[in-house]
Amino acid sequence: MSQSLAKECNEAKERYDTCFLKWYSEKYLRGNGTEQNNECSILFKEYSSCLQVALKERGIDKLLEEAREELKDSDSTYMGKKK
Amino acid sequence: MVLTHTTNHTYSHPFPTVTLAFFLRYCSPQLNPFSQHVMSTDTLSSHVDPATGRLHTTRIHLKKSRMPPAIMKMLPTSITGGATTEKASYIMETSVVDMKEGWMSTESRNLNFAGVLSVVEKQIYTIPTSTNEIGNTTDVATTVVFRSRFGERIRDKLGHLHAHEVEQEKGGFFSRLGAHGIQRSIESLASKKTQDQLGKSREGMKLILERLRQSGIMGVLELRKMARERNMEKA
Repeated sequence: MSQSLAKECNEAKERYDTCFLKWYSEKYLRGNGTEQNNECSILFKEYSSCLQVALKERGIDKLLEEAREELKDSDSTYMGKKK
Repeated sequence: MVLTHTTNHTYSHPFPTVTLAFFLRYCSPQLNPFSQHVMSTDTLSSHVDPATGRLHTTRIHLKKSRMPPAIMKMLPTSITGGATTEKASYIMETSVVDMKEGWMSTESRNLNFAGVLSVVEKQIYTIPTSTNEIGNTTDVATTVVFRSRFGERIRDKLGHLHAHEVEQEKGGFFSRLGAHGIQRSIESLASKKTQDQLGKSREGMKLILERLRQSGIMGVLELRKMARERNMEKA
């Protein structure tokens, strides 16, 4: 089962994932997916506040920060192709 | 030192379904047995850019033994921590979907062991323009870049020194092979393993795509829920 990396976030993650997949297939893919009608954002906030604590506890937030820096450099060349 | 591996593939499914399968590919090992090695998947951020309408998503996956055992054996215990079983690695995945223009680009990179071996996989999904079946197939170009910086002294952005140094002075295995030799070995071992895995990850995508064709997204969500409840009963 695709779980959250933190057990305590599993329930919140499940609710958000289900919402996101419905929104994506029923709205976004049909061209109606703007941020305004994304009903999942409240569920995401709950899930995210749980996850952020877990990321910090495990020191993953620092790994992510480094990876994002590297990504910024490669992004400009990679995404430049697709405009 | 860098090793690059590129492949092209065409899925016989429409572009929107393929992008949905990308988000669903690790949703359940019951639906995709090729995702048994994925221990967790979390969404870090997901938002629609109001100017472009593009969906930007960042996720983090925890995968079992991303590092091939042959590489683990080559490395001194000061790096591996001495443990040889059940290695796991965090993978950061970023994706951008543009429905209007009809493309999706994705990027995955490992977060741990990046000094020893960094694997960056980039994929571009597009609607083919030169076939008779426009709308029913999706092209994907995959590029994987392997880079080992083993034996180099790297300073990261925060100024910390990563000490992946080769113990030259001891005259052992590592000094005979040399840092560059080790880097090359690490890259080619990883490349071989990744070529096998690319095939499996494609098989996994195909299984999800078939499920979507048979029962639609609501059917897949239902199957996923049932699998989840069965698992919880077992636990």
